[in-house]
Amino acid sequence: MVIQKVGAVLDRIGLESVRSSPLSVLFILFSVVVIFFASQFPSGDGVGPSFFPIAVSVGIIFFAAIDVLTGSDTELEMSEFDFGPAAVVAAFLVGYVLLMPALGFLVSTMLFMPVVLYYSDIRSKLLVVALSIGFPVALFYIFGRIFLVRLPEGVIPVSRLLPQLPLVVTF
Amino acid sequence: MVLEYISQALVNLADPFVLLLMVGGIFLGILMGSIPGMTATMTIAVLLSFTFTMEPSQGMILLLGIYGGAVYAGSIPAILIRTPGTPSAAATIFDGHPLSQKGEAGRAIRVSTIASFVGGVISVFALMFFSPVIADAALRFRSPEFFALAFFGLTIIASVSGDSLTKGMVSGLLGMLVATVGIDPVTGFHRFTFDIPELLTGVEFIAVMIGLFGIAEGLRKYSQGINSGNDRVDQEISGVFPSLSDLRSIAPVSVGSGVLGSFIGAIPGAGGDIAAFITYNEATRWLKDSIPSFGEGNVRGVAAAESGNNASTGGALIPTLTLGIPGDSVSAILIGALLVHDVNPGPGLYQEEPVLLYTIFVGFLLIYVFILIFGLLGANYWARLINIPKSHIWPVILVLCVIGAIALRGNVFDAWIMLGAGVLGYAMRLRGYPLAPMVLGLILAPIAEENLRRSLVLSGGSPSIFLTSPIALVIILLGLGAIALPAVRSIRA
Repeated sequence: MVIQKVGAVLDRIGLESVRSSPLSVLFILFSVVVIFFASQFPSGDGVGPSFFPIAVSVGIIFFAAIDVLTGSDTELEMSEFDFGPAAVVAAFLVGYVLLMPALGFLVSTMLFMPVVLYYSDIRSKLLVVALSIGFPVALFYIFGRIFLVRLPEGVIPVSRLLPQLPLVVTF
Repeated sequence: MVLEYISQALVNLADPFVLLLMVGGIFLGILMGSIPGMTATMTIAVLLSFTFTMEPSQGMILLLGIYGGAVYAGSIPAILIRTPGTPSAAATIFDGHPLSQKGEAGRAIRVSTIASFVGGVISVFALMFFSPVIADAALRFRSPEFFALAFFGLTIIASVSGDSLTKGMVSGLLGMLVATVGIDPVTGFHRFTFDIPELLTGVEFIAVMIGLFGIAEGLRKYSQGINSGNDRVDQEISGVFPSLSDLRSIAPVSVGSGVLGSFIGAIPGAGGDIAAFITYNEATRWLKDSIPSFGEGNVRGVAAAESGNNASTGGALIPTLTLGIPGDSVSAILIGALLVHDVNPGPGLYQEEPVLLYTIFVGFLLIYVFILIFGLLGANYWARLINIPKSHIWPVILVLCVIGAIALRGNVFDAWIMLGAGVLGYAMRLRGYPLAPMVLGLILAPIAEENLRRSLVLSGGSPSIFLTSPIALVIILLGLGAIALPAVRSIRA
């Protein structure tokens, strides 16, 4: 009786379930790794630093396992999606952030904008140039000069060549 | 005393820079709310970085202006092209779009503006009236009660999980797990920091939120086709004021929906979309003999939905400001905005920052007055905003996301955290995981953990401390109820 039930559960867990809930499986594996690391934390008096991460990870394993076992009961959006464009834009973003420390905010944004605008099917050269130059410069003045937020300047601080604002804004 | 705070708030708000932020915020909110797919949550998350060096009250005014403007403007595409600009405007479609099909889009937008104003103003008065009472009661809270509150907040995950309770729970627990990175609040032990100095103070949760709501949504849009669903609007909206007969017709339903919407908004987890559906449903029950029928272009239907969703904005701020428990995902980000300025939302806020609170209250009231004016005068122009192609907007938003994350602490590390959260959020959305629970987990886990452990230290390790405090017990039971109800519903379904 018990063996039959275990067999039925294993059948349900089979590869099909794993395929239908890959993220849940990933979260279970991730939680196991977290439990491994957290179990090496020093145990304090009563509830130590490892208690919460382990308790939360056990919770993730519990609910993710239910998700794997029951299969997905939600409408997945995947069928109507093309992953290619998202992967390309994510790659552009990675390149943008990678370039930021070396080239600074201003130059790297001026490089990122035309690439993404072109990829977004914008073919008007005037618009691409205006947005690629005007937007980073405007952002630089808003963040760097008005709100005094520190943005990466890069190895060669090109942004310092931009003229100062004609008025001092204080608030 | 209150009058003194209000007068100081008025002095703060009379500052031209603050007024500029308010008006700018409303315009940005209207712009983003008018474009389908651009939610108030995403707009606030992406533009949060502008407030980092501002005074807390200035930052909050800008963000609340965006919030009010976006929730109001979500109705415009709902009426014109049957696509809600924000999720809260979904119920506005029922009667707003039929009016538009009859060539009465202008009438629908004007009614929506008046009702949004009425609902918003009622909710701000509810916020002003109820917040001090709740905060005063919560001042007596100690660790067990705070743990119970955080536990209750976490149980909201069940109600914001959408179709799948299990996926919602996984999402919320992941948020809680991310929140454990950094120095342990009780012992000072470094957890999951891997000798990376930027992780000592924990994962910047604003960077995570920008990733989840900005980057993830952007990647989704590119996956769907960046130029798909660009419906054009060429309807001319003429006139400014609604007719006297329309005003008479919508007055009772706007006031009733405003009161009900404020109450629903104050329930943690119930946002503008739920408020609008409930107030619309109540209007159809109470006024079932209306002509034309609901669903066929009845202005009262538009008023009920719009008053309800705007009323939820002030309502959502009640638990946010008095208990530190977010009412919805926007208020979760507002909590983040306050924390950036070392302002801790919670019962102590009334004693520590009374002027800030009253500046928020009076400022929010003023925001709705401006929304009324801009809404009535500019209806024709706002309607045209729908025609801005998404391909022009998204590259700009992506840059703002990256800059917003870097501006947090002036380092690029947070941009990587943001990108990681964005890719994770994108994958989770595609697999049907809701993202709002993750934000709740991120915000509430530190409160829950710290107070749980302090309570257990106080009781010598005995969990009975949560049963001997009547307030904690009641709140925990309410939390268990909040989990049990959707679970029972889910099992039945």
